[in-house]
This record gives sequence, structure tokens and C-alpha cells, in this order.
Amino acid sequence: MADEQLKQQIKEMIVDRLFLDADPAEMADDENLMENYEIDSVNLFEIVVGLEEEFDISFEDEDFSVDLFATVNNLAEYVEKKRG
Amino acid sequence: MAVEERIVGFESAGEELHGVVHVPAQHPRGTLVFCHPFAEEKKCSHRTMVEAARAFAAEGWAVLRFDMRGCGDSPCRFGEVSPTAWLHDIHAALDAAERETATTDVGLLGLRLGATLAAEVAEERHEVACLVLWEPVIDGEGYVRQNLRRSMIKAMMTRYEGGEDTEGAALEAGALGEGTVDFDGYEVPEAMRAQIDAIDLTTPRSYPGPVLVLNLGARETVDAPMQRLSDAYEQGTAAAVRQEPVWQRIGLMDATATIKRTLEWLQQIR
Repeated sequence: MADEQLKQQIKEMIVDRLFLDADPAEMADDENLMENYEIDSVNLFEIVVGLEEEFDISFEDEDFSVDLFATVNNLAEYVEKKRG
Repeated sequence: MAVEERIVGFESAGEELHGVVHVPAQHPRGTLVFCHPFAEEKKCSHRTMVEAARAFAAEGWAVLRFDMRGCGDSPCRFGEVSPTAWLHDIHAALDAAERETATTDVGLLGLRLGATLAAEVAEERHEVACLVLWEPVIDGEGYVRQNLRRSMIKAMMTRYEGGEDTEGAALEAGALGEGTVDFDGYEVPEAMRAQIDAIDLTTPRSYPGPVLVLNLGARETVDAPMQRLSDAYEQGTAAAVRQEPVWQRIGLMDATATIKRTLEWLQQIR
């Protein structure tokens, strides 16, 4: 399970980068980001760039899947795995 | 301030390029040649560029917006040209701007890859009055990778939204193969890609005039690469503007903060 601080950082990054009118503290770890925040391909691209820049990781082409971006939990687990 | 807008045509390498000049009623304080971004980024930012040109003209600056070869209303197919041709087009636009606005005080303003090309032209034409770089592409290879990645994500999301299986969609759309690649519907042949890959704004800069590097995005501090680019110039200034990426999505148009910061800087250097 990814740590809470990392999840909070990811939520803040998403709200900030997507210019969302939302409170990161109120985002649930397992809520569906695509549906609840109307995330489209442009937003998804921003999230990828944000994760790479802020957590110093690199996405591989084969890593891209809708599931990966579905929840904060999934993103946090991915970041932890990439950071070793 | 009243502003006149008129369509202009000028030649570059035997082709007639399409442009629009925005001229204030009174003699302009100077002229800016607006260098557009490319492919989908150009399409997305078109409206913003029009609004920006009008805002600058309203403050007394003449602006020439134009379409480089293979883009917008200018001739040639996108895949037939290259950054080398676009650099030539910017040179031609500088000459046209002087003629059309009756000023010799002509600067360059660019967005994304247009900013990068503007910076390269300024290396060859030190008489350019000023250089304004809005979120320039610093690393050509990274830019290509980002465009391919955007195509991958779009393909994946298109299938997802259509209720289809998304397995492998991203890889099919964006695999970094050899030869021609697709920038979200724009064919980028190998030769063009090689030239874009070679773009590197981390090399030493010799342009001696005033330069504004605007880092546009969610952050309120300037990213390290943008700061280094600014520092490479004798008279560089870097600033961060919290600005939604108008070059990424059709419908995002509000560049008020970016225009305001640019106008403040132009006032300072005059």
C-alpha cells in the first residue's frame, strides 16, 4: 500500500496541473478520476508530465493503460514501484 | 486604441505566405512578428494568438501573424516542409513586417516550437529588437516524444470512451518507430523529425538584445531549464505565469496573464 503522504502529493499535483476547482484533501484514494473529474486525453497527458517531473520517474510506453490512471491508489502504487 | 487589421501576403522561397497585420491607429511603438506553434498546438492556440495580437495592438504594438509553409492558409503540405524552411519563413516575415508596419523596430514573439525557431532566427539576426519566448521547446527530442505520447494517450482514451478494449491501443498509436510518425493527425516524415530532434536551446546564445522567457503552466516558479535558457542570454529575463496550456486544447483561450506580463516587460525595455 502506497503511503498517505505520496497520495496527498499526487492529489495536489492533479488539482494544480489540471486547474481543478477541487480540494485535494477531499479526493478519495479510490474514486474514479476519469469519471469524477472528467479527465480526458489532454488532462491525462498533463498528469503523466506532472508525475514524471515531480516524482522523477519515467513512464514506459508499455505502462500506459486506463487502469493505471483510474485512481490515486493506482498512480501512487505505480510511482512507488518506479522509484523502487 | 483603434486597430486596423488587414490580410497580407509575402514571399518566402517562391511561395506566397499568408499573414494578418494588426496595426494601431497611431505610429506603433514597435512591431512583433508572431511565430506560431505547429500541428495540433497551432490549431489549439489559433484563437489565443488572434486575441493576443489584438491586445498588443490595442497597447500600441503592431503585430504580424502569419502561417509558415505547410501550415494554416499558407501553401505546401505540412509533411513537405521542415524547420529549415520555417526559419527561412520567419526571416521573410521580419522583412515583411518592416514593410507593412513602416517600422524598423521589429521583434519576435513565439509560442512553443515557434518560440524556439524565433530564438534561432535571433541568433542570426542580432538587429531583432527583442525576443519573447512563450513556453519554448528547449529539447527537440523531448518534444517529439511528448507529441507521440499525446497520440498514444489519445488513442487509448478514444477506445476507452467508446467502450472498447484499450489493451495495446497506446502502443499501436505511439510506438517510437523509425520513419514517418504521426503527431496527432499531422504526418511528420523522418527528415522533419530528425531536424526537430536536433533542436537544442541549451547551446550558448549570442543574441545581444532583450529576451523574455515565459514559463507557462501550473507552477508559480520558473523551471530550471527555462531559467538556464534565460541566463544564457546577455539580457535575459525569466518569469513564470500561471496559465492553462492554450496550445493543448481547443477552447482554452484566456491568455490574459501571459499577455499582461509580456506587455509589462515590453514597457520596461522601451
